[in-house]
Amino acid sequence: MMVWPMVVAAVVSAVCAVVGTMLVVRRMSLLGDAISHGVLPGIVVAVLAGGRPGGMLSTVGAVAAAMLTVWAAEAIRRRARLSEDAAAGVVFTTFFAAGVVLISLYASRVDLDPGCVLHGILELAAADTVPLLGVAVPRAVVNGLVALAVVTVFLAATWPAQLFAAFDADAARVVGVPVGFATTGLLAMTAVATVASFEAVGAVLVVAMLVVPAATAELLFRSLGRVMAAAVAIAVAAAVAGYLAAWRWNTTAAGMIAIVLGLCYLVAVLAAADGGVIPRLAGKGWLAWRVACEDVLAAAWRREEAGGNAAATPAGLLFRLAGSWLRLRGKVEGPTDRLALTDAGRGEAETIVRSHRLWEAWLGRNVELPVDHLHPPAEWVEHYLGADVRRRIEEEVGPASSDPHGREIPTERG
Amino acid sequence: MTPQERLESLLAHNTLVVAGGVAAVGVAAAVVGCFGVLRRRALVGDAAAHATLPGIAAAFAITGRRELWVLLAGAAVSAIASLGAVTLIRRHSRTRDDAATAIVLGVSYGAGIAAISGLVARGVSGSAGLEAFLLGSTAALTLEDSLLVAVISVAVLAVVLAGLKEATLVAFDPAFAAAAGWPVGWIDAALTALTASMVVAAVPTAGAVLVTAMVVIPPAAARQWTDRLPPMLAVAGLVGFVSSLAGVVASAVVPKLATGPAVVLASSAAFLVSLGVRLLRTSRRPSGMSEP
Repeated sequence: MMVWPMVVAAVVSAVCAVVGTMLVVRRMSLLGDAISHGVLPGIVVAVLAGGRPGGMLSTVGAVAAAMLTVWAAEAIRRRARLSEDAAAGVVFTTFFAAGVVLISLYASRVDLDPGCVLHGILELAAADTVPLLGVAVPRAVVNGLVALAVVTVFLAATWPAQLFAAFDADAARVVGVPVGFATTGLLAMTAVATVASFEAVGAVLVVAMLVVPAATAELLFRSLGRVMAAAVAIAVAAAVAGYLAAWRWNTTAAGMIAIVLGLCYLVAVLAAADGGVIPRLAGKGWLAWRVACEDVLAAAWRREEAGGNAAATPAGLLFRLAGSWLRLRGKVEGPTDRLALTDAGRGEAETIVRSHRLWEAWLGRNVELPVDHLHPPAEWVEHYLGADVRRRIEEEVGPASSDPHGREIPTERG
Repeated sequence: MTPQERLESLLAHNTLVVAGGVAAVGVAAAVVGCFGVLRRRALVGDAAAHATLPGIAAAFAITGRRELWVLLAGAAVSAIASLGAVTLIRRHSRTRDDAATAIVLGVSYGAGIAAISGLVARGVSGSAGLEAFLLGSTAALTLEDSLLVAVISVAVLAVVLAGLKEATLVAFDPAFAAAAGWPVGWIDAALTALTASMVVAAVPTAGAVLVTAMVVIPPAAARQWTDRLPPMLAVAGLVGFVSSLAGVVASAVVPKLATGPAVVLASSAAFLVSLGVRLLRTSRRPSGMSEP
């Protein structure tokens, strides 16, 4: 294991994460994909003209190719009667193919490996060093840091416009914010990020490094500043972890970094506190459990009211489990299918039945529903009424009245 | 070998059969692609295309065999899984549609690259051949392989033509189709599955990175010639046929030229010619007249 390739991976990942955050929040992820393919001929021509894959000349070539990609896609969309995605599909595959063909035709003269295009060669990128303060630092690190500085300065300088364009591009245009400039600049920055990462991860995998950290961070945070900071942190961590995994299992670092990023995203989708799959399922499950417990208690209360002749405890696995739990808590006792309330459980049960009948009474008074239609909504609402609401309803329907079925509404306890 | 000799060996070998298979793929991919282009879902196949790689690598690693049908079966499984992943992300997360596609595309391509490089680094015999699926290579296709992809193409083509009415309706007016009681969701899924099948069948020719061009560019070219669907399907098929043949021949004649980029550039040329012809024709028409 070497440290420098890891540093290269971390730096270029950070550049991509910063640019990618803006692409993701502006719904331009696929444009980022198109550009990262489209810059290839620009880089190849620059290298043929004597530039280095990550150097100044290739950056100029890449930005030019990116602008050409975007311009051509827009021109084709307008003039060829095609939708945006079809136009982009035509252009970026053509540009990428042209780049690959150039490499194949001038293979002997180009210092570019086809493998470099497809997945980058991190060790090679780290091997080309320049002396910096007496230390041999990989050129890719220097280029990456310069790219990071360029991208950061650009975003900082245009931040209000970027922010406005990201959340309401139309409103921004109306009040005279230079949205077009902000957007074009962002696409140029995408090209800068692609060139900086080209040697390390290739032109194809850049899309993973652009989009996945930002998409992951977006699931975890709401404010744009935090999303960007988190995206950079995730990208750097994934770069380090991916490089170590690639070294351990002897494979391409760029591929492993993409896999680690994918795992980060998966974890965020599943576990994000705000909207994650697991918290959402847990919330639903907890609610179903609470409803089942309350239904068991209310059924026991009604049976008590009817002198033991009413319906049995609701059947089903969930209700059986709920019954066992309530028995454990000392709130019910007796045979499983005919649970009876204890003194400890009676109060809670009464509150639920009270909620139920109050709601029926309220519906009967205020909504013209037949009496036999009042039970089902009350069966739901009984689980959601708090003491305040119950009091308000009682004030409206009159104290100590009975429900529309003629049964007594229990009074509030405690 | 001189280009002359290459061309001769090309004609002598069973290359003609291989070229026939590849041309069938070109036709079927182009015809299926018309529906994606018309429905503004041109890039639906791109995520599936990149996702074929991990499937190919896994099929090889698990079975240890490298017959094309084994690898393509793996590719089909992972391509379908990727489409399922995109759908799941759209439904169950806050991530937007474009980012969902980009995530699945990028991560599955990375997984494929890591798996293939890992196999090659371990010196597993035959694993180096998997790299041909990145940019496409028809040089290694056997007679059976080209028969396989030709059969898939003909089958897909037959399904599309049999369901032409349904597909047309959903392509042009999904809201009406739904109101008229057509199972729009299922027709939609079937079209996506057919596109995915053609992407899988075309991966040996064009490679995972560029294969999406085979379902996008010929339909885009055909769109310049006509406004009606049946002629558009025919023109797209013709463009797909010619450009895949041209790509196969070019990559056989030019050393080190992968098939995928050659096929793509051939169809791009057809697109540019088509666009140029249409623009010339419309510019000659007196102003004020709408397009046909």
